[in-house]
Amino acid sequence: MRIRVMSQLQRSLSIELPSLVPLQLPSRMETHLWFIRPDEVKSTSLLKHYSQLLSPTEKEKVLQMRGDELKKNALLARTLVRATIARYQTNNAVDPKALMFKKNMYGKPEVDWQNYTNCNNPPLHFNISHTDSLIACGVTVHVPVGIDVEDKERKIKHDILAFAERFYSADEVKFLSTLPDPEVQRKEFIKLWTLKEAYVKALGKGFSAAPFNTFTIQSKVGTKGEYNLCKMTEMTASSLEETNKCDGEWKFSLLELDDSHYAAICIEDDEASGGAPMRVIVRKTIPFVEDELISESKLL
Amino acid sequence: MASIAASSSTSLLARPRQLVIAANQVKCFSYGRRSHLSFNLRQLPTRLSVSCAAKPETVEKVCAVVRKQLSLKEEDEVTAATKFLALGADSLDTVEIVMGLEEEFGIEMAEEKAQSIATVEQAAELIEELLLEKAK
Repeated sequence: MRIRVMSQLQRSLSIELPSLVPLQLPSRMETHLWFIRPDEVKSTSLLKHYSQLLSPTEKEKVLQMRGDELKKNALLARTLVRATIARYQTNNAVDPKALMFKKNMYGKPEVDWQNYTNCNNPPLHFNISHTDSLIACGVTVHVPVGIDVEDKERKIKHDILAFAERFYSADEVKFLSTLPDPEVQRKEFIKLWTLKEAYVKALGKGFSAAPFNTFTIQSKVGTKGEYNLCKMTEMTASSLEETNKCDGEWKFSLLELDDSHYAAICIEDDEASGGAPMRVIVRKTIPFVEDELISESKLL
Repeated sequence: MASIAASSSTSLLARPRQLVIAANQVKCFSYGRRSHLSFNLRQLPTRLSVSCAAKPETVEKVCAVVRKQLSLKEEDEVTAATKFLALGADSLDTVEIVMGLEEEFGIEMAEEKAQSIATVEQAAELIEELLLEKAK
């Protein structure tokens, strides 16, 4: 289902951007996943309008990127975040340009609501991830979220197992080494990467809080698209026995996006969910222009 | 030309590129001292250490690893001050760059330190720190 907001925008881009179409908040245990394809945004007028939404710091960061393509992608990433979050303020219209952001003490970006005296602001969490050809933004309510997207065809320049041995957990190395086909191995490596990245980003405490080799993510037996996180507890001095503690504190979802990318989402479990899996609503968007609800998200 | 050693009493004239690198730095990341360089080509006072700026060869090797990992073109400029993010490197690229640097220099970088590297210069300095540790 495609919702075209303003087709005259295409014809006359010297006019102001139309107001944003408001959105219903995600429910608990639901993630809204928005993505944009940079190669579908060609209009220089539209890009110029987007750049007017950014803060001076954001504009500076965009300019620091090397080359037009990287600059454009950086611009689209910030636009996606601002335009998307602004749409969730269903009671009061929020100007995407007026949104402020801050970083938590570990550097994770968050919305800074200080500008808004309305105390009914929903506790929105967001996280973005980008690749050359796709930029994604995940939004949740009440619980922190982390997302990571990777091109399915991305080539790893190092030997996969050597890479895994260096950075992944022992169980993950074991799993990868059982895969005979190198192409399958590469794909599983990338899927694992996105899941692990998504977790660290959801945690929001930087890499040192959760080095990749201290936790294992594996698919839950008998389910599709559900994963378990198992953390290695400290090895006791006397024995070499490692114990893995698998908790349901974090929920994962891995899906295939637009036939070209893997997208992993990690959210903190909300006890009220009763163990239900995460629901993901995927929408492709061009801010201020159109949204397309992707009716089937292919779970992996 | 005189052989390039990591000593503190090197004439600036022998290492013009070193001057450029040091001049770009406001702080030395490894040692936290401010550089008091002025911009003429006087001999540096011996008490002022240039070892807070990495050697040009280290920087060059780091640039080469970065270029290879990110498949940059000849004309794409990579210098000591270049930020990985500005080149479009994502987290997977950064980790692959770290692996490439470990292979190139025969060292191992602790994950937290590796994650804190944002520029070519920082990578080069960390590498030299690790090489010095290794030599002990």
